[in-house]
Amino acid sequence: MVEVKNLTKRYGVNMALNNVSFKVEEGTIVGFLGPNGAGKSTTMNIVTGYLSATSGEVTVSGKNTLDEPNEVKKLIGYLPEQPPLYLDMTVKEYLNFMYELKKVKLPREKHIKEICQLTKIDNVYDRLIGNLSKGYRQRVGIAQALLGNPPVLILDEPTVGLDPKQIIEIRNLITNLGRNHTVILSSHILSEVQAVCERIIVINNGRIVADGATDTLAHDLSKDHRLILRVEAPEREAVHAIRELENVVDVYSMGEKEKGVYELSVESEPNADVRRPLFALLARKGWPMLALKNTDLTLEDLFLQLTSSDTAYSQNEDKEARPKVDIAYEPESAPDGNAADGNAETEKGGEEE
Amino acid sequence: MKAVFKRELRSYFASPIGYVCVAALLALYGFYYFQVMMMGSTSYITSAYNAMFTFCMMIIPIITMRSMTDDRKNKTDQALLTAPVGTLSIVIGKFLSSFFVYFIASTLGLLPAVALSFFSTPPWGVVLGNYVGTLLYGGAMVAIGVFISSLTVSQIIAAIGTFAVAVFLMFIDSLASGLSSSWVSAVVGWISFNTRYTPFTQGLFNVSSAIFFLSVMAVFVFLTARKVESRRWS
Repeated sequence: MVEVKNLTKRYGVNMALNNVSFKVEEGTIVGFLGPNGAGKSTTMNIVTGYLSATSGEVTVSGKNTLDEPNEVKKLIGYLPEQPPLYLDMTVKEYLNFMYELKKVKLPREKHIKEICQLTKIDNVYDRLIGNLSKGYRQRVGIAQALLGNPPVLILDEPTVGLDPKQIIEIRNLITNLGRNHTVILSSHILSEVQAVCERIIVINNGRIVADGATDTLAHDLSKDHRLILRVEAPEREAVHAIRELENVVDVYSMGEKEKGVYELSVESEPNADVRRPLFALLARKGWPMLALKNTDLTLEDLFLQLTSSDTAYSQNEDKEARPKVDIAYEPESAPDGNAADGNAETEKGGEEE
Repeated sequence: MKAVFKRELRSYFASPIGYVCVAALLALYGFYYFQVMMMGSTSYITSAYNAMFTFCMMIIPIITMRSMTDDRKNKTDQALLTAPVGTLSIVIGKFLSSFFVYFIASTLGLLPAVALSFFSTPPWGVVLGNYVGTLLYGGAMVAIGVFISSLTVSQIIAAIGTFAVAVFLMFIDSLASGLSSSWVSAVVGWISFNTRYTPFTQGLFNVSSAIFFLSVMAVFVFLTARKVESRRWS
C-alpha cells in the first residue's frame, strides 16, 4: 500500500533522513517510534507530499508521489503534528471547507455527520475552533483527515494533549479505523504504540533502527537469550547438571535468594528453547522450580537502547538481573524481510555507538 | 481554488480587517469627491481618482499582508498542500480573494458618482476609465503583495515590504527623469505604474497598459506559487 524506498532528506548539512526504506501492507497499523527530532514527522511530511525528499521515492498503492501528486494525495488523510485548523472558522465551516478542498465526492451532509459522530465532535459542531480545547482541536484534526474516507491515514502524534479518557477513545478509534484503513501513526509514547500498532518501526537520527511486529520485536532484537531460574537445589550441583543440557551455553549462579534457593542464569543458543528440557531435568532430580522467566527486553528497554547514544543504561540500571545486551541488530534475525536495507545500516550504526 | 477563495473571503469579513479596509477606502473616496466637487467647484473628477492611487497603495498592503503568512504561521498550509489541489490554484484562490476585497471597495467607490448623477451628468467615460484603471492597478499591487507575503511569516514585514515596493513603483518616474541614459529611463518609464495608470484617469482605455497590469498579476501569482513550491525542497 505505502512503499518508501531509500528516502533521504537533507536540510543543508543536516541529514534529517538517511536512506529510509519500509513498506506498509494494506490494512495494518504501523507505529513510528523515535525520540524528538528523529525524523518521524519528516518522513510523514514526505509521504503526504508536504515536503520533497532529497532522494528516494514514495509510492502509495502503486502511484508515485512525484508523478501523480494529486492522485496520491487523494488516497491519504493526514493529521500533522499541529492540526491544520483555521481558528476563525466553526467546526462546521472548517469541515465543509476541507470537504471542498479535498474534492470529496461522497454525499456531503451525511458524510460530515458520520465523521463528527465517529470523532465525537458533533456537540461542538457550531462552535468556533479557536474556542475549543486542545483535545477537541485534535479531534477536529482527525475528523479532517478522515474526510473522503481515504484508504491511508497518516497521524502524527494523534493523542498529544489529550486527557487519559480521550486518549483511550482515540486509540479505540484508531484501532477501529485500522480494520479498513492502512494507518501509520507516530508517537514517542511506547505504551500507546504497543496498544494500537501491529508493527513498529523505530527511527533514530534519520535511520530505521528496528522494524518488526510489536509482540516479537523485543524478543527478536535481543541477541542474548537468557533465562533466570530460581530453584531449590544445591548450588554447584544444579549449575553442573544444567550446563550438561543440550543447547545451553552457560550457566552461573547469582546467589542465594531465599534459604536454600538459588537464582541461576541460564544462557541458551539463539533460536533454541531450553525451558522444557530444563523442567524435565529439575523434575528428574527432584529440585522444585520456583520461578522461571526470560530476560526479553521490554519495549521500553529496547527503545532506550536503540535510541540512546551510550549503553550506560543497561549496565548501571539493572546490573543484577539484566545482562548487558549488544545493540547490534543482526540482519538474519530480521522479522521483516523487506527492511533488509535498513537493517544493514542499523548494524553499522549500532556498533558505532 | 473555489474552496480557498471562499474561505479566505470569509476570513476577511470574519475579522474586522475586511470591513476596515473597505470602509477606509470608501471614506477617502467620499472625502476626495467632496473636496474636488464641493470645495473646488469643478467637474474635474480625474484629480479625485488620481489621489486614490496613493490611498490604494496604503490599503492594499493591509489587505494582502496575511494572505500567505498566516497559513505558514498556523501550519494550515499543511492542509492546503497535502490536499489534492495544485499549488497554483491555491495561490490563485488567495489572490482572487484579496483582489475581491479590493474590488468591493473600488466598486462601492462609484457611489459618489452615482449620487452625483441625480443632480447632474457626471462624465461617465472618465469615471469608468478611472474605475477600470484602479482595478487593474490594484490587481497588480495585490499580486505583488501576495507574493511578498509568501516570502515571510510576519504580517508586519509583508505589509511594510509591499508598501515600500508600491512607493518605489510610484517614485520610479522621478527617478527616470534624473537619469542621463535615455534607454535606462525608457525602461524605467515602461515599468512605472504611475505612467501606466495615468491614461485611465483621463477616461482612456489603454490596451498596452491593461495588458501590462494583467501580466504583472500573472507573473507575481506564478512567482508566489513557485515560492510556495520551493519551500518543499528547502
